[in-house]
Order: sequence, then C-alpha cells, then structure tokens
Amino acid sequence: MARILVTDDAAFMRMQLKDIVTKLGHEVVGEAENGQVSVEMYQELKPDLVTMDITMPEMNGVDALKEIKKVDPDAKVIMCSAMGQQGMVVEAIQAGAKDFIVKPFTADRINEALSKAL
Amino acid sequence: MEEVRKFIVFTLKNQSYGVDVRQVHSIERLQKVTEVPRTASFIKGVINLRGTTIPVIDLRERLWIGETETTDESRFLIVEINEMQVGLLVDGANEVLDIGAEAIEPPPGMIAGVDAQYLEGVAKLREELLILLDLEHILDVNEVQEVKQAIN
Amino acid sequence: MDTNDYIEIFLDESNEHLQAVNDQLLKLEKQSDDLSIVDEIFRSAHTLKGMAATMGYEDIASLTHNMENVLDKIRNSSLHVTTEVIDVTFTAVEALEEMVESIAGGNTGKKDVTDLIARLEAIENGKQPEESKEPVAAKEALESLDLDEYQLTVLDQAKEQGFEAYQMEVVLDEGCILKAARAYMVVEAVEQHGEIIKTSPTVEELEAGEVDRFSLIVLTKSPAADVKQSVHKVSEVESADISLYVAVKEEAAPATEEIAATTEEAQTEQKEETQKAVTSKTIRVNLERIDDLMNLFEEVVIDRSRLEDLASEIKNDALQETVEHMSRVSEDMQSLILTMRMVPVEQVFNRFPRMVRGLAKDLNKNLDLDIIGAETELDRTVIDEIGDPLVHLIRNSIDHGIESPEERKKAGKAEKGSLTLRAFHSGNHVFIEMEDDGAGINREKVAAKAIQNGVLTEAQLEKLSDQEVNELILASGFSTAETVSDISGRGVGLDVVKSKIESLGGKLSIESTQGKGSKFSIQLPLTLSILSTLLVDVSEEIYAIPLSSIIETLMLEEKEIMDAHGQRVIDFRGNIIPVVSLRKVFDVEESTTKDSSIQPIVVVKKGNKLTGILVDSFIGQKEVVLKSLGAYLKDVFAISGATILGDGRVALILDPNALVK
Repeated sequence: MARILVTDDAAFMRMQLKDIVTKLGHEVVGEAENGQVSVEMYQELKPDLVTMDITMPEMNGVDALKEIKKVDPDAKVIMCSAMGQQGMVVEAIQAGAKDFIVKPFTADRINEALSKAL
Repeated sequence: MEEVRKFIVFTLKNQSYGVDVRQVHSIERLQKVTEVPRTASFIKGVINLRGTTIPVIDLRERLWIGETETTDESRFLIVEINEMQVGLLVDGANEVLDIGAEAIEPPPGMIAGVDAQYLEGVAKLREELLILLDLEHILDVNEVQEVKQAIN
Repeated sequence: MDTNDYIEIFLDESNEHLQAVNDQLLKLEKQSDDLSIVDEIFRSAHTLKGMAATMGYEDIASLTHNMENVLDKIRNSSLHVTTEVIDVTFTAVEALEEMVESIAGGNTGKKDVTDLIARLEAIENGKQPEESKEPVAAKEALESLDLDEYQLTVLDQAKEQGFEAYQMEVVLDEGCILKAARAYMVVEAVEQHGEIIKTSPTVEELEAGEVDRFSLIVLTKSPAADVKQSVHKVSEVESADISLYVAVKEEAAPATEEIAATTEEAQTEQKEETQKAVTSKTIRVNLERIDDLMNLFEEVVIDRSRLEDLASEIKNDALQETVEHMSRVSEDMQSLILTMRMVPVEQVFNRFPRMVRGLAKDLNKNLDLDIIGAETELDRTVIDEIGDPLVHLIRNSIDHGIESPEERKKAGKAEKGSLTLRAFHSGNHVFIEMEDDGAGINREKVAAKAIQNGVLTEAQLEKLSDQEVNELILASGFSTAETVSDISGRGVGLDVVKSKIESLGGKLSIESTQGKGSKFSIQLPLTLSILSTLLVDVSEEIYAIPLSSIIETLMLEEKEIMDAHGQRVIDFRGNIIPVVSLRKVFDVEESTTKDSSIQPIVVVKKGNKLTGILVDSFIGQKEVVLKSLGAYLKDVFAISGATILGDGRVALILDPNALVK
C-alpha cells in the first residue's frame, strides 16, 4: 500500500483516479487542483507517489514536476496526459517523471504504472 | 468518326505495297549484308543496324515473285513484329498514306502473283491498287523453320 | 508501410535462412547431441517467423512458431533429437520453401499447415508435457539490423574496450497511445546501461510517430538480463527480446544473425560465425544495373575494336599507344565486370544434400553426397540455368547409378554408395562433375534400348565404341528407365539435359565403367557474352571461331591433306583427324581463287574428338561481343551468333561443335 497524492484540475478526474487507486489497495492522502497546490501539498504530505495532470491552471504539471524534483530528487511522479501531448510527456520524462498514463484511464494501466514506479 | 490507318508505301516490281506504319521501325539505305550460310534463300543475311544485328530478307523471294536486283532506290524496310526486328529488302519506299478502313477490301485469291495468305487486304486508291501485306504471316518464324527444313 | 518494398529482401533472407536450416539439420542428423546446431536452427526459424509475421504471412509464421517450440525444447534438453524430429522438421522446411516460392511467384504464400503443426505439437507435447519455455526470443522478432561503416567501427572499438553489443527488439503494448513518448522511455532506460548506436526505425522516426515495435543496438558492459530488466520497468512494453549482436558483412547475408544471449553455446560459435564478423565491405547492387553496365561495356568493346582498326590504319604513335593502353584498361574492366556477375555455384549446390537424402530414402538407397568446390564461381546467368539439369543428373545417378545396399553387397562393394559433386575452374571454363560409384552404364542394356527405340540400327551399333554407346543415353528418344519410377519418370530424358547445357554454350560428356560407376562432366563457359575468338576469312566473309574450342592452327601444304575413304584427313601429331572445308560446309562458291599451296587449318576439339577446319586465311585474334541472331534466325547450322567488328561489319560466330564428327 502506498500513499498517493492526486493532482488534476477536474474534480471528476480526481474522483475517478481516487476510486481506481483505492480499489487497487492504495491510499489517496491528498487531492490538488493545480500544480502550485500540488507542490505545496507534496512538501507537507511527503507522499510515496504523485499523479500529475499536465494541463492545469496556475502551474502546469510539467512545471510542478520540476518544482517537486527540486525539493525531492527521488520523488515518484506519474504524468497524466491526454492524447496529443507527446511533446509535454517527453519533456516530463526528461525532467524525471517515472511514467505516464493517458486518458481515458483504465485500472490495468494505472496498476501497471503504479507497481512499476513504486 | 471513321477509322483511318497510316501505311508505309513501297514498291516491288512496279507494284505498290503497304504495311501498317506501326509495324515499321525505320527505312534504311542498303549496306553490307553478311550472308548466313545454310538458311532459306530469301534470307539475305544479317546487317549491323546501329549496334544490333538484324536479319534481312528479300521480300520478292519471300513472296515467291522473283528476286530483287538492288538499285540506288532499294531500301531496307526495318519492321518489328512480336518484338522481333527484320529488314525487308524492297525496291523503294518513300510515302506514307492515310487509308480509311472502308477503303480496305479482303484480298482476292492471288494478286500481282502474291498468294492471298500473305495479304491483309487491298486498298483502291485513285487509279492504283495498294496491296496490304500481312507481316505477321510473312515473318512467321515457324514457317521459316519449315522452309529451312525443306531446304536441308 | 508498404510491404511490397520489402518483399525482395524478405524473399532473399527467407531463402538464406531456409538454406541455413537445411544445412544445419543435415549436420544435426549426424551430430544429434550438438546443441549449438539446434541453436542455429532455432535462430533461423525465429528470424523467419519474425519476418513472416511482419509481412503478414501467417502460415509461415505459425509453422515456424511451432518449429521453434520443438527446437526450444531440444535446446533445453527436455526433448531429444530423433529421426522423427528431423523428418518432420525437414517436411516443415519443405512446406516453408513452397510458401516462400509461392510468395516469390506473386502469390499469397498460403498453405494448409495444420497437419504439420499438429505433428510438431505432438512432438513438442508427446515426450515432455511440462512447460519449459525459454523467455528470451519467444516473442516475434523484427528484421535484423545492418550497421554502416562508421557504426561498425564504433562497435569494433567498443568491443576492444570490453563492451558487448546487444540487439534488442522491443514491442509495445497494442493499446499504447503515446508511442513516441513510450519509445523515448525505453531508449532512456537502455541508455542507463550504455550507448545506443542504432535504432530501427531511426530515432527521428520513433519520436515522430506511432511505431509499436522497434529494434536497437546498444553497447554496454551490463549483463543482457539487466538491460532487459530496465526496459521491462517501462510501462506498456509487451516484450523486449535481447540477443548478442553479430555484425554480418558478407554480401550474401546482409541480415544479422541473432544469438540468444542466454545460451552458453552461442558464445562459443564456430568459425563460420566469426568469419562473418570479419569486415569485408560490401554493398548490394541490383542485378539489372550490372547487366546494364555489361551492355554498355559491350558497346565499349565494339568501339575499342573500331579504334584499334583506325589506329593501325592511321599509324600515329601517340594514338596507337593510347589505344593500346585503353585496350588493356578495358580488358581489366571486363574481367572486373565479369567478376561482379559471378556467384558461387554453392547457391545451386546447397539444395542438393537434402534432395539426395530424400531421394535415397524414397528409393531405398544408402549413399553419401560429397560436395567439392562449392565456392567455384560462375556467371549469374549460367547459375540460374544450371540447377535443373544438375537435379536431373543427380536423380538419374541415384535412380539408375547407385545400386541398392543388397546389390552392392553382392557385388562386393561397400553398402553405402557415394556420389561426388565437384566444381572447379580450368582456363576459360568451369567444370562441374558428378561421379558415382554405382553400376555404371550397361552396354548391352543401352544398346538393346537404343535399337528398340529406333535411335539407331544394329549395324550402326556394332561400330560404336563403349564411349559412344555411353553417349547414347543422351540421345533424344532414349530413356533407360525400365520401370517409370517417381523419380526419373518425369517424361524428360537426359537429352533435355544435354541440349540445355549446350544452349548455355556448355558440353556434357560421360565416362562410365560397368560395375564401377559413372562420371558426368559438364563444361561451362565463364561468361556468355564476350568471347575470345580467332577471326578467319572464308570466301570474303569473316567468321569468328571461339578460342575455347581451338587446339591449334596449322598451315599445311595441299599435299599434306590426304584422302581416306572419301574423307579428307590430316596427320595431326600422329593422329589421323578429319578435315572439313568451311567453303564446302557453307556451300559458298569457290569463285575467288586463292593460293592453293598453303592450306590454313584450325584444329578444334569437341570432347576428345578433333577436327580440322579448312579456311581461306587467318585474320587474327579478337575479343568479340556475342550477339544473338534473333528469333527469326534461330538454330542456324554451325552458327552460334554474330558479332559486330570494328569496321561495322557483321561477322558470324562459328559453333565448331557442329563441325566435329
């Protein structure tokens, strides 16, 4: 069981993710609605893993990832992307993201990503 | 629209003959012929046509109407049938004629001494009769072989 | 991607691999405990499977897949090599060959292989039911990678420094969406271990698009398993197969041979493998281009003749020198171009071992096939044509030559017969000999058959030497098979073989000793299009006589030509040989009078028979380009073609064989 921070600007997506992650036997310790919040919550909660949406207001996921990596180089972040964001995903991988998942999410995919990253 | 075909017109023994222009590769002046021994007598031999060796035949002999005596007017009519080039020795060739399909009639039994099997038809032009040759038949390789066997 | 672009290379490589499987299977039959052989077969089958799957040839893929499973069990020693295994595998290879051939013929390559697959599965499951699948290489492979010169250098240097090169085949999950990003992650994971020197498709293509399977070559000091492990850490990777990369720089085999990294045997490969790794830089050239080059060169040869003529007329030293130099250079060019067209006769020979094996089995014969000189090279055009005649001769030898083991025993011979196929160069010719230690040609049988089939009369027969009787089996209308067997009962006699070989400018001869065996010798020209000839004059026409047939030229006095039984003959080194006059043969008038005291004679040979050809005069030696007389003038007596001389005249090329009696 891992402690997970879910980051997405859409409440619906956070809900869906939380549902899947919980069912997989992990605990969602926090929900962030943008990058800025996610960075702050990361420092506060020190989760085992962060799921990070890419397109968000205030601070986008890639920038948030970079910020988190600054404070904790070992941070495990999985990017959540929509189709057509290949460039952003690659940038995120370069910046140290562990993996990425593409919307719409499937439980299998999330399970794979989580177990490989953890 | 009526069909019009183009024919190369040449002469043999003062008679005009025609072959479809699509079957004619070129018209060449005479040149040295290398004899090929032990072949049918109408086969005059081979010539060098710009690097390719091409057999030439005496068309008169082939049509069984005598033998050609070459003159300044004589020409090799290089024809191509089934990707095979052959030179025909003729008395002179200089004209291209358009002939409407309706002017072509089936050949009579024999005309100007030429057997109908070698003819595609005849065309009446002005006062003259143009004999159209069936080159596929004239240059039929199998028939050449038969002729050869008869000789040997 | 349009698979048509790859079909040629697919066919080439498939044939190479099938051949490899063939060769190795034969080896395996003899050394059934040598697992390195199984490895080789496995690798070929595996590569075939991958290629076929990529191209969408499912029957090939599924058959090779099942072969692979069986082979895999053998590799893991959970299954033993038995005759049954070899037989079924051979049958499978035959089926594969048929399918590949069908594809080559523009067809679908489909074939009902369910029966074969069932047999393979029975073998696979019958003996050892538990699953023991090798994880490596169990998935479909991609086409192997080629490296360019620079990459090869990098590879060589890295190896010196203790790096190992691995080829990795990565297949992404079917459902993977951002494939480029995924591929990027794989590349990054691999790069933790070392340097990637090549990817296929290229990195640019990987980043640009939707590639769901790709290969790469990495130089690393990490164990293969670690590299693989890292890649499997990446999500959405269906499979990542890793194998030692072996660069193959041999012309015939541009593909890389895969070596399963996990198997010990693979590391200690025999000389063949290492030979392939020796750098010899080659490129593939389309045969058409070489043919075009050859055609162009033929024109150069004609112009060269013309220049030589002009130079000798003009008699300008500088010109003559230049022309001579050009002649020498173009001769070198000629031999170079000819070499480019040469391919080892191995290409034809290597299908024979299996054929012989099969024939021997079908006919209950026991024999060994020895192949000597498979590396001998022949013109490509000849190679393409020589296969069928050879197959026919081999069938003939096994069917009629080699006796059954019982008969051999009775005759005091070893039970196992031997058939030797030998190729070698000699002068301007390549010889292919096929020798067996079978029953030899039975004079009485042949004679009786010849008379029965009306090939000749009894009176004619009595005059024939043993050698001449032997050659009767090459006569048309003759077939020695008493019972039409499956093997030689194909409605074609050896006369077809003979005429085929002659149409290639070659000769076929037989030596045979009753009870001891027979030897069929085929003499073939190195090339078909440029000939060294002697130009001679006959009644103002020039003829070219191929030097290859000429023994000697003589200038004899009229009185040295004698008359024997109405045949003109001469004494040539103690032998009486006939003389034929080309004027007479060609029926040209004797109009031009010539110096009657000196008679120029060209002595030519056909087999071991000599004949003198009387001509008007010798002109000189000349390289000429053989031109066909064309379809209109086919089968002209004693003329094999024409050529164009320097002055533009056409000279006929004589076929001396027709003049030797």
